[in-house]
Amino acid sequence: MRMNFQVYNGLRFNCTKNDKKTKHAFEWWGPAPTAARKIAVGKSKMLIDKRLSLKAAVNRYIRDGISIGIGGFVNTRVPVAIIHEVIRHGAKDLTLAFQSNSICAELLAGAMLLYPQHVSVKRVELAWWGYEVIGIAPLLRHLAAKGMIQLDDYTNYGMSARFKAAAMGLDFIPVRDHGGSDMERVNRGLMVSSPFTGRNTYLVPACYPDVGLLHVTAADIYGNCRIFGALCTCPEIALASAHSIVSTEQIISNENIRTYPNLTEIPYLAVDALIEQPFGAYPGVCYGHYWFDMAHIRMFRSASDEFRKSGNQDPLKKYYEDYIFGCETFDAFLNRIPRETFEKIKQLDGGQPIIVE
Amino acid sequence: MSAYTPVEMITYTGSRILEDNKIVFVGTGLPMIAAMHAQLTHAPGLGMIFEAGALSPILDMGLPLSVGDTRACRKACYLKGLCAVFELTQRGHADYAFIGGAQIDCYGNVNSTFEGGSYGKPRTRFPGSGGAGVMAANCEKTIIIMALEKRRFVKKLDFLTSIGFGDGSPDYRERAGVMGSGPYRVITHEALFGFEPQSKKMILREIAPGKTSNQIQEKVSFELLISPKLQPMREPTAKDLKLLRHVCDPEGYFLTRKVDA
Repeated sequence: MRMNFQVYNGLRFNCTKNDKKTKHAFEWWGPAPTAARKIAVGKSKMLIDKRLSLKAAVNRYIRDGISIGIGGFVNTRVPVAIIHEVIRHGAKDLTLAFQSNSICAELLAGAMLLYPQHVSVKRVELAWWGYEVIGIAPLLRHLAAKGMIQLDDYTNYGMSARFKAAAMGLDFIPVRDHGGSDMERVNRGLMVSSPFTGRNTYLVPACYPDVGLLHVTAADIYGNCRIFGALCTCPEIALASAHSIVSTEQIISNENIRTYPNLTEIPYLAVDALIEQPFGAYPGVCYGHYWFDMAHIRMFRSASDEFRKSGNQDPLKKYYEDYIFGCETFDAFLNRIPRETFEKIKQLDGGQPIIVE
Repeated sequence: MSAYTPVEMITYTGSRILEDNKIVFVGTGLPMIAAMHAQLTHAPGLGMIFEAGALSPILDMGLPLSVGDTRACRKACYLKGLCAVFELTQRGHADYAFIGGAQIDCYGNVNSTFEGGSYGKPRTRFPGSGGAGVMAANCEKTIIIMALEKRRFVKKLDFLTSIGFGDGSPDYRERAGVMGSGPYRVITHEALFGFEPQSKKMILREIAPGKTSNQIQEKVSFELLISPKLQPMREPTAKDLKLLRHVCDPEGYFLTRKVDA
């Protein structure tokens, strides 16, 4: 149901009984905390081989109407391979949840605009959607201007804290931002007075996605994950989600995981399907492995921008036909990228040291 | 005096207002370059925070293109995720926020969410808060970079994304539940603004050589306060420009851009 974004007559800080935020029962867009807990309780805790093909994993967990948490940050260690498979598989009426995202969100938006009977996003809980150095996200701008998508705005900390609250099994978490901004008026958080000091404190609702999509540096076959470079909000999203699909640059031994248990950022309990997918964040960056392919990102963005500005679908459609629907697997997509590109982006990473053996 | 571009003036000004031995929370682009320049000149003890999780990295692989990328993590002292660095900020460890936006009002509130139309159906949707809203709330002082244009220096924001002094009431930030002391400087290529402590309104502190305060007022929709101690903006020296162009952003990712003014 679409929210009614009314402004409450200059009454900010401390919502009252008359405010719409307290009048209506809060609606969870993924599982409620108790339902999410039940799913965790019901899972086998056995150390078993979680490896699946991308196709099998997406087929098992992605369905119409669910909420998807997207890991990484902008184009850093984002689950591009999994998103390609979600688009091939198709899913309608999705809710997306992320802090800051770029190509993954735009790929889903483009699929919705070109193939609405196959993929659609009804709402997004977010802090930021764009391309950083390259510019704004054309498909977000298009969807928003047409009123085709419902947005629920928080800060990057707000979204991260919401995932963290869900990872902690809570309903909400207090934060010291959003208050006094217009996000306070439109998002689903609530200002309360601290029971201990009386100070106004903003509460953001926990965010429990049905399925978390993440890409990590390395994992053992049971799903114990190691992440190098910025962790972004990946551990929190994995632990918040009812189920998680994780792709990894490489599989490492369980013996290695147990040698350095402090380095495990996501425990096997929070992983349901694991896919060994080198270059799984391409054309995004993955610390220790590869840098961005800015040329590829720009190519997709300019096709998107042409669609937004002129309505011409052809270049964007060609992108999906060549790189997503025309590819059976993500490796088939990678095979369409010139080999020297991978040499170049590996070099640009500079061989950051990572511990994988 | 050397010839410099508007973007170089903004970046240089950003650098010179950063104090040594402080922590600056930086976003992608000019804030990073300003902080790098400050480290190389008057503030070797300045540390940076990048919101994807890095504290005090050494940017010796070149300029990051994203606050989450490999270069932004290079040789950091502490590398975790968003929760960790924003919690450091909430706890009081980040001195400066360095943010941008599409619109600013006289109380230093900033919009980076949408322009025109309504929240549910905006004429022009921007990327959204990202880190800006939380940085403006919880870093101790907020520095804002903005192109000096009437349509950006507005009487009323279409949406308040990053909190400044709100409606200017003395306890606005306190009641909003945020921690930092609020807007500190607004940097443009022709003027440097601060905020008058009592009214919390934007005040013109410095103007670019050759400009008059009337010319600045013409590019601002609200009425500007003018500091009785109005100063000329310091210009970058040849050495500063060399650092900016050849060390901080040698590939010209940001410094070669135009300020749309």
